[in-house]
Amino acid sequence: MSTLIIKNLHAKVDDNEILTGVNLEIDTGETHAIMGPNGTGKSTLASVVMGHPKYDVTEGEILLDGKNVLDMSVDERSRAGLFLGMQHPAEVPGVTNSDFIKTAMNTRLEEGKTISLFNFIRQYDKAVEELKMSEDLPHRYLNEGFSGGEKKRNEILQMKMLKPRIAILDEIDSGLDVDALKVVGDNVTKMQTDDIGLLLITHYQRLLDYIKADKVHVMMKGRIVKSGNIDIIKRIDTEGYDWIKEEVGIEDERVIVEDEEDQAVLGTCATKEALDIK
Amino acid sequence: MIKYNKPVLSNDTIFDKINTLSSKLSNVLIIKDGHILYKNLEDEYNDIYIKSYDEAMTDKADFFDQTKELYELDDDAYQYNLENVNSGLFIHVPKNKVVAEQLHIFYIQESVDLVQNTTIILDESSELKYFEYLYNEGQASINYVNNSFVKENAKLEYSGLSLFNKKAVINVTRNSSVARYGTSSIRIAEVNDSITETKTNVYLQGKYAYAEAKTIAITSGVQSAKFRQLIEHQAPETEGYIENYGVSNHESALEFEGVGKINKFMKHSIARQSNNGIVLGKKAQLDANPLLLIDEFDVEASHGAAIGKIDEEQLYYLMSRGLSTRDAERLIISGFLSPVLEVLSSDELKEDFKNQVQNKTL
Repeated sequence: MSTLIIKNLHAKVDDNEILTGVNLEIDTGETHAIMGPNGTGKSTLASVVMGHPKYDVTEGEILLDGKNVLDMSVDERSRAGLFLGMQHPAEVPGVTNSDFIKTAMNTRLEEGKTISLFNFIRQYDKAVEELKMSEDLPHRYLNEGFSGGEKKRNEILQMKMLKPRIAILDEIDSGLDVDALKVVGDNVTKMQTDDIGLLLITHYQRLLDYIKADKVHVMMKGRIVKSGNIDIIKRIDTEGYDWIKEEVGIEDERVIVEDEEDQAVLGTCATKEALDIK
Repeated sequence: MIKYNKPVLSNDTIFDKINTLSSKLSNVLIIKDGHILYKNLEDEYNDIYIKSYDEAMTDKADFFDQTKELYELDDDAYQYNLENVNSGLFIHVPKNKVVAEQLHIFYIQESVDLVQNTTIILDESSELKYFEYLYNEGQASINYVNNSFVKENAKLEYSGLSLFNKKAVINVTRNSSVARYGTSSIRIAEVNDSITETKTNVYLQGKYAYAEAKTIAITSGVQSAKFRQLIEHQAPETEGYIENYGVSNHESALEFEGVGKINKFMKHSIARQSNNGIVLGKKAQLDANPLLLIDEFDVEASHGAAIGKIDEEQLYYLMSRGLSTRDAERLIISGFLSPVLEVLSSDELKEDFKNQVQNKTL
């Protein structure tokens, strides 16, 4: 059994504190859901656990089976058994999905050992079929030109292949139509075993119709303000979040007012057209 | 008139690496220190003239009589080449001959300062896929010139993989003139360790002529490399595309200078250019100078450069699946440079390219 413990976690980006003391404990075999309106720090929590370089942890601890996660680099966290299904996975032109995931799987083996090609292809093809993805997926470039739904399914596919012990799925439901949501839900449900602990981050109750959660947490103001069972969701579904805000004494639940990612390109002097030539 | 003197060959062995690569290819010619050591062409090439200047200077005397006027470049390295050729190769594809299979020429240097001069003539409505592999093992200064003449409605698909070592100082000039309805597409992967200066000049001389000049380059160590491409529109309704991908690692300096030049009255011409670069080394430099010199109003032209560090989000994404920083960087770089893979015709050549890129991203 593995356990992820998050203790009094504070984190900031630039000078804004976004996480203001998160406490959470996830064991393998459990599925937790974090709900909450936009801008309350849910995705930040996921990114901080995985180690996104943008965020600085100012206080608190993250422990995986007693080991200090905050001391680990991003890749060490992954190899230690953490997985983050991202809300906006990067596109990497020129790198095929299969090359990427094969390289990732090889990092789990002893130095110099590689996964057998036959085994890999069999596992990959099976995952592609179960997620109802197109057969040319292995040869397509990583997330490049993927629709929102394809990207999300590709995240689940990677989770299937890498078999993490603790997996965080960050808004895996946003941008999915009902059919795709059902496929993703079925696949995640199949993975709910005693060997994995899941943390689902969402602001739609709908996802939890497809994936059953044991515990539900509500996040506001950069921390978890309420925890309980599935009944909380039913109440949010009918009444919204106001009753929780009232209960905890919060007026504005947000910590992030604007969440726009800055993209910088150095030395650009071009028309879009010119960059698109073949 | 070209001055040609063949050097004495010190030995006629071909490096194992070259033997391994070439054995997997068909239509191969290996020329080392000025001597053709191996030639294996399929029947399709029976009508194509491919010979050393030993014979070509006599067989194609008419051509050589007028060479100097064909490309009168004010360029020292180029002029030096014409005066001191010690390795010459002549390729002539006759009218209406379309060759489907690619020709692979291996230019190897071992013990002389190589002054290579290659001439390619594509007569009217002919087509050739030409690939060159440039390689040296000795310490040398290497001067390479390739002059191609693409006649009306002919099509040259010129590709190359250049792997000069760090003991070499390299000067390369590739000139191509393209007649009406002709196409010249030049795509080179530059994975040298040498100090390198490369110039590509394409002259669009007839209406509807089309040119493409693509360079994919990676520099490492303390190497410096400069790649200059010029596409000059000397006729109306011509199209020229310049596209560059570069990575500079360690303390190396990589420079692209692309020039799209449209002369007066060359209406409805199109000149486009893009440069993409990743600066990998903390002390590395990468410069792109896209230029447009346009003397006519009624044209389409654009240029651009996007150069930056390796994308942090891509790096984070790959690392979040367990890849170390170095592995993630390598994968991103090899992906970034992947446009070259389409011009490499065998898995062995692709592997060779990938290995060299790996060495340069260590």
